[in-house]
Amino acid sequence: MKKTISTLFVAAVVALGLASSACAEDVKFVGVITKIEIAGKDAKTATATVKDNGSGTPVLVTVNDDLTLDKFKDHRIVEGDEIRCKYETAAGKNVSKLFRKTAGC
Amino acid sequence: MTRTTIVAAAFVLAASTAMAGEHFGRESIEKSGYQGPETCEECHPGTAKAFLDTVHWKHESKVTNVDGIDPKKPYGMKNRIYVMCNGNDIVNNLKEIPKSPETGKTKFSGCNTCHPGNHLSDVGSTGPEAEKAIDCLVCHSSDYDFSKRKPYKDEQGRIVMGQDRSTKAALAIGKPSVKNCMVCHEAAGGGYVVKRGFSFTKDTDVHAAKGMVCVDCHKAKHHKIPTGLDPNNWANDGVRISCADASCHGDKPHKDADLNRHIAKIACQTCHIPRTGGAFAKDFTVWTQTADKFYEPTTLKKEANETTPVYAWYNGTVANTPHFIGPKGSRKDGKSKIMPFKIFQGKAFYNAKSGELLSMDFAPPMASGDTRGGVESAARTLGLKNPEQVAKSAVPGWQTIYFGSNHLVTKGKALSCANCHAPNGVLNFKNLGYSDKEIVRLTTPELYLKQLVEKQKEEW
Ligand code: HEC
Ligand code: HEC
Ligand code: HEC
Ligand code: HEC
Ligand code: HEC
Ligand code: HEC
Repeated sequence: MKKTISTLFVAAVVALGLASSACAEDVKFVGVITKIEIAGKDAKTATATVKDNGSGTPVLVTVNDDLTLDKFKDHRIVEGDEIRCKYETAAGKNVSKLFRKTAGC
Repeated sequence: MTRTTIVAAAFVLAASTAMAGEHFGRESIEKSGYQGPETCEECHPGTAKAFLDTVHWKHESKVTNVDGIDPKKPYGMKNRIYVMCNGNDIVNNLKEIPKSPETGKTKFSGCNTCHPGNHLSDVGSTGPEAEKAIDCLVCHSSDYDFSKRKPYKDEQGRIVMGQDRSTKAALAIGKPSVKNCMVCHEAAGGGYVVKRGFSFTKDTDVHAAKGMVCVDCHKAKHHKIPTGLDPNNWANDGVRISCADASCHGDKPHKDADLNRHIAKIACQTCHIPRTGGAFAKDFTVWTQTADKFYEPTTLKKEANETTPVYAWYNGTVANTPHFIGPKGSRKDGKSKIMPFKIFQGKAFYNAKSGELLSMDFAPPMASGDTRGGVESAARTLGLKNPEQVAKSAVPGWQTIYFGSNHLVTKGKALSCANCHAPNGVLNFKNLGYSDKEIVRLTTPELYLKQLVEKQKEEW
């Protein structure tokens, strides 16, 4: 019994691994925010357009984590800020896993 | 009504409103609007004046536990020269930097942006103007618009640090939240968790997970915020905190007597903060160009919890030389404990004649990468003789700094017996002063085998 479970488990991991390498690999880049779209104080999600420093192309990033959303809401992060971003593509969206200003003091 | 009666009445009423969790002054502020600290002074008289006498306003204090400095003079971010920042409030005063030769653009930069003043009343300023300039809301409002907190040039061409002084922000007063403190502390040293390597979220700290905030531990009276004995945090308001304070955990926090026995020699942080993070190396002699064509100090950094600390005996006194800032102590002095430190190494310019570490004005290197220009400007500001020559002959060198590692507390990942008492354990017993014979005794499963077998049974 124990063996079957672990075999199943391995199979599951492999399957997930394959699935994720097909569409959900993390992408990392640094860029400047050109637009933040957020629907009010209670919004649970936001979309930021970030111009990739490397390629110069705009990337649409979906932000769902509370800490970053709060920074959008109270303007600790605003358009024009350079940020470091890591995202994963799921269901056609680039979902942010890390979204941080590069600057400090 | 006199001011005292207003205040007295306010305090009587406060008892009832406090329960609602709303600031008592709200109604009055709603009526008359927020004019800055004067508004608060109506009911909290003397607060602004007292604030001017704190580290958060002065960025310096007398320091008695550090070698090689004058105990009669004040030290802090205002005037210190070391390699995490290399600039300070004086030499790297907030200003518009020269235009980038590549883009023709300029920007504002300066260490004293991490200050709750408006720059016209700057770090350490005194008097009625200074009192009026304090940004009470940056620490006390939960509805602060941070887009207003940035430098700009006023009509007279002076550089002003903006504040949110809206009535809206003043209607959301309370004790400081994590966010209020992290406005400055999160990006200190040049970016996210760069300086101290700690974030304070439910995933990174047991106290945050329990809903605690900074000031639940850093409880302040008259705005004197207590700190500990981080070898690189010198300025202090004369009040200290420690994990073992009786009001927090005391010195026997575990049910397990074996763990409690260690507390005489091993600091809580050693077991409970097994990781650190942030910048571990910086080069101020060569800056790196960024996408906006400006330059930043070349920096190697990691996220919170991604690097390992170093361990050393520490008795609360600090060695301080141009090439080293770190803990003093030994196994034998009866006062030291083994503590974890976030290690950091930085490269900067040294005075060719005196061997002293030089500081840097960031404006020249930020605009064009000219690091010696930054040294020259700083030398001029500080009144060194022949600044041009000082900069030209300056020699690059490294300084190693041990930062205290006092957040990122964990229970589940706390070090257990086998993490230390094994030949490949986290502590280097030899460096810590144990004899070969003692090391044999300290690195055998004999010490913990029975106990851990019991635990293993429970777990499975
Ligand atoms: C009309 C009177 C009044 C005004 C104006 C006023 N306060 Fe208060 N405030 C009070 C009273 C009363 C209390 C409750 C007593 C106490 O805790 O000291 C209080 C409590 C506080 C607390 C403690 C809150 C807590 O939850 O621990 C802070 C912080 C505070 N005030 C800040 C301010 C600031 C900043 C201003 C200016 C924007 C201000 N107050 C203006 C009356 C006032
Ligand atoms: C650097 C952050 C900071 C700034 C700026 C600041 N405060 Fe505070 N304030 C604190 C902290 C921390 C406490 C203590 C909170 C605690 O221990 O619960 C506090 C407490 C208070 C209290 C509660 C009573 C007391 O004195 O402990 C009042 C009232 C207050 N502040 C008013 C003000 C006013 C008015 C200003 C502007 C002149 C101001 N604060 C600026 C951090 C700040
Ligand atoms: C406006 C920026 C700013 C804010 C907001 C701020 N700090 Fe600080 N804090 C600093 C700076 C800069 C220093 C370093 C001063 C020095 O070493 O010269 C410092 C130092 C400290 C220290 C060590 C020295 C001391 O005063 O004990 C502690 C502890 C501290 N801050 C805690 C807090 C807490 C808690 C809050 C939130 C209530 C807070 N800070 C909010 C800028 C800030
Ligand atoms: C669980 C209690 C606790 C909480 C919560 C806490 N601290 Fe601390 N902090 C400490 C202790 C204890 C020390 C000093 C330890 C020592 O030196 O022995 C310290 C030290 C510091 C220092 C001095 C430098 C250093 O790292 O040693 C700063 C700055 C600081 N804390 C800021 C903060 C800020 C900002 C927050 C909130 C984001 C915070 N602390 C939350 C307990 C706490
Ligand atoms: C030698 C290592 C070590 C030292 C030193 C140490 N701890 Fe612990 N502590 C642990 C371990 C391991 C656990 C987890 C025990 C468990 O999971 O049952 C723990 C658990 C705890 C708990 C949770 C207790 C509970 O019953 O849930 C607290 C609180 C605590 N420690 C506080 C402290 C404080 C405060 C200090 C310093 C005075 C300290 N510890 C020093 C290893 C240590
Ligand atoms: C952070 C590393 C660390 C952890 C974790 C740790 N120890 Fe220790 N332990 C030490 C050090 C260092 C000493 C020597 C202290 C001294 O100089 O007196 C020591 C001493 C001892 C001694 C005395 C040995 C002797 O012969 O003097 C015993 C017994 C012991 N530990 C058992 C344990 C057990 C059981 C656990 C787990 C519950 C544990 N230790 C966890 C570091 C650790």
